[in-house]
Amino acid sequence: MLVQQVKPAWRDGYYRAQVEAVRNLSSDMLEVILTPEKAWPSHIAGQHIALTIEVNGRLTTRVFTVACGASFHRETKNIRLITKVNNEGALTPALSSITPNTWVNISAAKGNFTLPNTDKPVLMVAGGSGITPFIAMLEDAIENNLIHRAPVHLLYFAKPNEHVLQSELLALQKRANNFTFAVLTRQKDGDVKDYLSHFADAHWLVCGPNAMYEQVREVAKLVRATLDSEHFAALPTVNIGSLSEKETFSLMHNGQHLSVNNQKSLLSQLQEAKQPVTYGCGMGICHQCQCVKKRGVVRDTRTGELSDSAEQLIQLCVSQAVTDLEIQL
Amino acid sequence: MNTRVLINTEERQQAPSKTDARLQQATTPPQSVSKPDYDMLETQLDAIKSEVKDKIGAEDAAYIRRIILIQRICEWSGRILLMLGFLQPLLWVAGVLSLAAAKILDNMEIGHNVMHGQYDWMNDSHINSKRYEWDIACDGASWNRVHNYEHHTYTNIIGKDRDFGYGLLRLSNDFRWRVKNLWQFATYILLSVMFQWGVSYHEMAAERVFFGKKKKNRKNQVTHSELKKRFFSKGARQLVKDYVLFPLLAGPLFLWVLSGNLIANLLRNLWTSTIIFCGHFTGDVETFKAEDCKNETRGQWYYRQALGSSNIKGGNLFHILTGHLSFQVEHHLFPDIPARRYREMAPKVQAVFKQHGMHYNTGSFWKQYTSVLKRIVRYSFP
Repeated sequence: MLVQQVKPAWRDGYYRAQVEAVRNLSSDMLEVILTPEKAWPSHIAGQHIALTIEVNGRLTTRVFTVACGASFHRETKNIRLITKVNNEGALTPALSSITPNTWVNISAAKGNFTLPNTDKPVLMVAGGSGITPFIAMLEDAIENNLIHRAPVHLLYFAKPNEHVLQSELLALQKRANNFTFAVLTRQKDGDVKDYLSHFADAHWLVCGPNAMYEQVREVAKLVRATLDSEHFAALPTVNIGSLSEKETFSLMHNGQHLSVNNQKSLLSQLQEAKQPVTYGCGMGICHQCQCVKKRGVVRDTRTGELSDSAEQLIQLCVSQAVTDLEIQL
Repeated sequence: MNTRVLINTEERQQAPSKTDARLQQATTPPQSVSKPDYDMLETQLDAIKSEVKDKIGAEDAAYIRRIILIQRICEWSGRILLMLGFLQPLLWVAGVLSLAAAKILDNMEIGHNVMHGQYDWMNDSHINSKRYEWDIACDGASWNRVHNYEHHTYTNIIGKDRDFGYGLLRLSNDFRWRVKNLWQFATYILLSVMFQWGVSYHEMAAERVFFGKKKKNRKNQVTHSELKKRFFSKGARQLVKDYVLFPLLAGPLFLWVLSGNLIANLLRNLWTSTIIFCGHFTGDVETFKAEDCKNETRGQWYYRQALGSSNIKGGNLFHILTGHLSFQVEHHLFPDIPARRYREMAPKVQAVFKQHGMHYNTGSFWKQYTSVLKRIVRYSFP
């Protein structure tokens, strides 16, 4: 706490970063420029970081792709995040009103979704804010002259008038003859699967919503194309009406899998499965059975309240699964 | 510090309390005149809780961070002032008071409340019930088990809540009188003076780690060797910190610092012990029998919490230094609501109690404390 007076947002296990600028790219897309502290190990284009900010007293964490190349970070000491603002979300609305110079926390960069080292042509398929890792990859690849080997083509799908960073894409195209891109909307141009047949011999990269990924994956299987992907199921949708129906979810804890239902508490199901778990009162008072939920949504059996989907402390005895879960016992 | 004395006393007094037969002849103090409508009580108290829960946010996070900052400043200025005693002894006195205040803030408003999970919603990896470790001889996890689980779940159920009299004092007719109860006032004073060690040894005493017959069919989640390890390692760390490390750092001022730390710890022990006794052992606090509490509803649980605790009136600083345990009634009803919110909940809780004809046990510090002392003396005799 004394350290935090000198170094705001200093926290064990996190890196610090200062907000440089926040601006709107479109009605609901937001660009955030951060200056990470010197100790932050840089990223490889395509990787993501976890961003933690304080929202009404609560430290809230979300994962974002770093939307710039490592060369950009080297030159400017800044990194860029681009996100869609989800008004119902826990973090992005607060992010849109964050003021420059605020200190926030970030994690080291993680993820294997990077430009493959291949002599084959590359096909990039982006959906909505899934454009971000590709911008980063292209920036670095062109900077380091890696694109002359084989052509790179980008299919960029988004809702009408929601394509962002087109000027940057054009600039990149000017710098590298081998790079081409197409700006598409499903409404006008049809589904992604209609565009894939010409690229059977390419290495495919796809980043976008789950539905889009599924389509690409099916075609890739048919034509036997190599496929790397990063797909997001945004927020797991929870249908309150269906809570009375019995549903089964998967629970990951300390590397083990268990299937759990949404009727009984997580504690009683872990006990039935003979898992070692500390417990006490069984009614949410004593916090003995508390553990860290890494991801997924749980319902508080006392209030019916749904939890956040990111990392949080939960009490097993008063929590029921609402989505697939990962916890740390 | 002679911990041996306490260990022995505790053992001698606890061993006989194992027969359940004696609990059967328990005579509870007169219950409140009429039983309340438990379901209605539950709805009303739940409503008070959810109303406050909606308000919890940035303000509460800023509050606990500010208190932690003040605590750190008190601690370090205290430790520095202790070394300046050779310039002017009054500086040493200020150092003792500052360090004692730091320890009290750490144990009460920060440690106790954070370890209750009151600030877990913040998702802060330093301010949560799993991580926080306090400046006291008692291992945080051990306290969590005995206090958060046993004491808060089974509040004042004779035989289940070992906090009722701590196995040392006879505070109701639920326990058969023994000759040693004649001098339990002295035992009480001793317990107060050594309170941090009493708290620390508490779980091991009950688990009969060192002495006494092991209770059969006690399912324990933590092995005795683990308990011993944690007890000695945390205890030793505290002793080394206050009586070796910091005195040595002071060099020639070794004794100034050593005695300062000793007195600061003593002040903290007396303060915490007194506040806690006022919260649970005033004259009107009731006890319960295990068989009455089987399958109890949440409403009945609320009812038991309400009659098993007592409040102390006081000013702003007083409430902070007690860790808001001056609102013991509200704390027992809502143990994981940030404690500073008890202030605004209290009038509403009191109104609900009144409606149900339940006694809302509150009074000035001296009134409550006299009542505690009377109770200790009263049950010294058969």
